Amino acid sequence: MKQPLILLTALMACAGAYANTTSINGTVESKCIITTDTNGVYGNPSGEALSTKPTDGGVTPIVRYDIVTADAYVAKITYPDSFSSSPSLTDTVTWTGGTEAGQMSDSTMSAFNTSKVEYNNTTEFDLSVAGSVWFEVTSEAEYGYEKAFPAGNYSAVVTAECIAQ
Amino acid sequence: MRLIIILLATIGGYVNAHQWTPTHPEMRPSHIQGLYTTEMHLFNSRKEISYYSIRVFDKDWDVVPFAAAPSLVRANYLSHHYSDIYIKKSDLKRAHYICSKSKILSTVKDPSIIASRICSKIKK
Repeated sequence: MKQPLILLTALMACAGAYANTTSINGTVESKCIITTDTNGVYGNPSGEALSTKPTDGGVTPIVRYDIVTADAYVAKITYPDSFSSSPSLTDTVTWTGGTEAGQMSDSTMSAFNTSKVEYNNTTEFDLSVAGSVWFEVTSEAEYGYEKAFPAGNYSAVVTAECIAQ
Repeated sequence: MRLIIILLATIGGYVNAHQWTPTHPEMRPSHIQGLYTTEMHLFNSRKEISYYSIRVFDKDWDVVPFAAAPSLVRANYLSHHYSDIYIKKSDLKRAHYICSKSKILSTVKDPSIIASRICSKIKK
């Protein structure tokens, strides 16, 4: 009777000795993370226009940038100047748009909007403050001279870049 | 507060991001004479993207020849990918940026798609 008890106690002691801990390691390093928060949708407020503005029935594409180190990156966001897919178009399309910093994790990031540089269809932001910022991109397309867009699906690409300095 | 947001973003809790690190990679001599190398890390948490292209540019955004296996990376959702980039010693001075760019398949039919490109600057 005593022998099995001793054996059981010894086995339990061994099981206890094998209990282990697991560590979780992580590193926070300088990086820029581009997150597609919201894919846009074109609204069709009138026959000849497509627009991502909510007032035109569209959805504004939103891109979030997470910046770990200040002054390490420049953000470049380009609104489209052509459709990536569309029905066959026989007339010219006029493109307009822009990019603005909307929500931000730090109020000093409002400087991104005042110091932004715009050229062609690209807006450049100096990411001088660390944190998270949501950039809202508007895109509008007008077809010919008050010509109605043919029925079908339209897609366009917004390019979000993060360039190390 | 800012740190918490960054940590949440870095650790997880979102599903649509593109990461490309390090910010300033350092080129070092490789085991092949005349070639310099560095390791880049790609993390794909963009569900709609499965491929990323890698390119090397000079400071004027002209393409610099390089080798990577492969230069078109298939990265599944939430996967990590490590790429060894090789640049010739003769091109090392003008090589400035190592970039990864999301490739959008023609089957993706979102009305407004976002292409992401992140460029690291080579440490000189």
